[in-house]
Amino acid sequence: MVDASVICWGPFLLIAFLFSIFGIIWTIAYPFLFLYGAVFSGRNLDKSMNKIVFREKTSIEHFGKDPLSTLKGTHIVGGVRKSGLVYSSVVYSPSHWQLMIAWINGLFGGRIDIIHRVISVGRAEATQRLREQAQADGWEEVLNVRIDTAEMTSASNPKGTKAVEVFAYGTGVKYS
Amino acid sequence: MQHIRDGIMVVNTETIAGKVITQNLGVVGGSTVRAKHVGKDIFAGLKNLVGGELTAYTELLEESRSEAVARMVADAAARGANAVVNVRFATSAVTAGASELFAYGTAVIVE
Repeated sequence: MVDASVICWGPFLLIAFLFSIFGIIWTIAYPFLFLYGAVFSGRNLDKSMNKIVFREKTSIEHFGKDPLSTLKGTHIVGGVRKSGLVYSSVVYSPSHWQLMIAWINGLFGGRIDIIHRVISVGRAEATQRLREQAQADGWEEVLNVRIDTAEMTSASNPKGTKAVEVFAYGTGVKYS
Repeated sequence: MQHIRDGIMVVNTETIAGKVITQNLGVVGGSTVRAKHVGKDIFAGLKNLVGGELTAYTELLEESRSEAVARMVADAAARGANAVVNVRFATSAVTAGASELFAYGTAVIVE
């Protein structure tokens, strides 16, 4: 038996205090963030999509064409001087408002555009980052591109998918 | 990101264009499980409410992926290979808040 008077309660109290502070902040912030998400999440998606389209244009100008392809490189005649791995990833999540709308849409069935938009922006972002990575590493083309998605859950709520990770990778080649 | 580590070429095509594979040394792989600390997790949770990109998790996956690739390359180097071809990545959410990144490929000797 351990005598209760010899246990140092300080650290436990500190942890409990921090947890309660987080709890209070969470309770206060939740409705505001939910409303913010309801008003702005669609608009923010449109904004980031526009930015991605613009960045895509700049990198296509740099390469002279879209550098990404799913070809395996057997079509290349002549020499390749160098090749190496390129990868990029992004984690995207729908807002709780969008999840709620999606749940309501799901009751009726059919297309759920609001979630489709989130994932397509995530995918566009990942492929665009792959182009930029290829540009930064000095590759002329990226072959055998694969795009993977993985679900992520946050530690605070283990149930249900919360975010989607989009991961793109390919082989960069240099011809001369 | 370095495309050549310790003199080992890493590609995800079946062959390396312009090179001939002379010897196959088998499958090599590297994996890592990582998590962000609770503070970042909470902020990611708040960001999740609003939607959009979760930068903390993107960063986390980026770090762990390069670690997985580095381990795979170390495995290949231990076998005396000079290239790893047909590299694939796999992700699994082992437990909430942590994810396992696994990179695997075939270690070969090219000329």
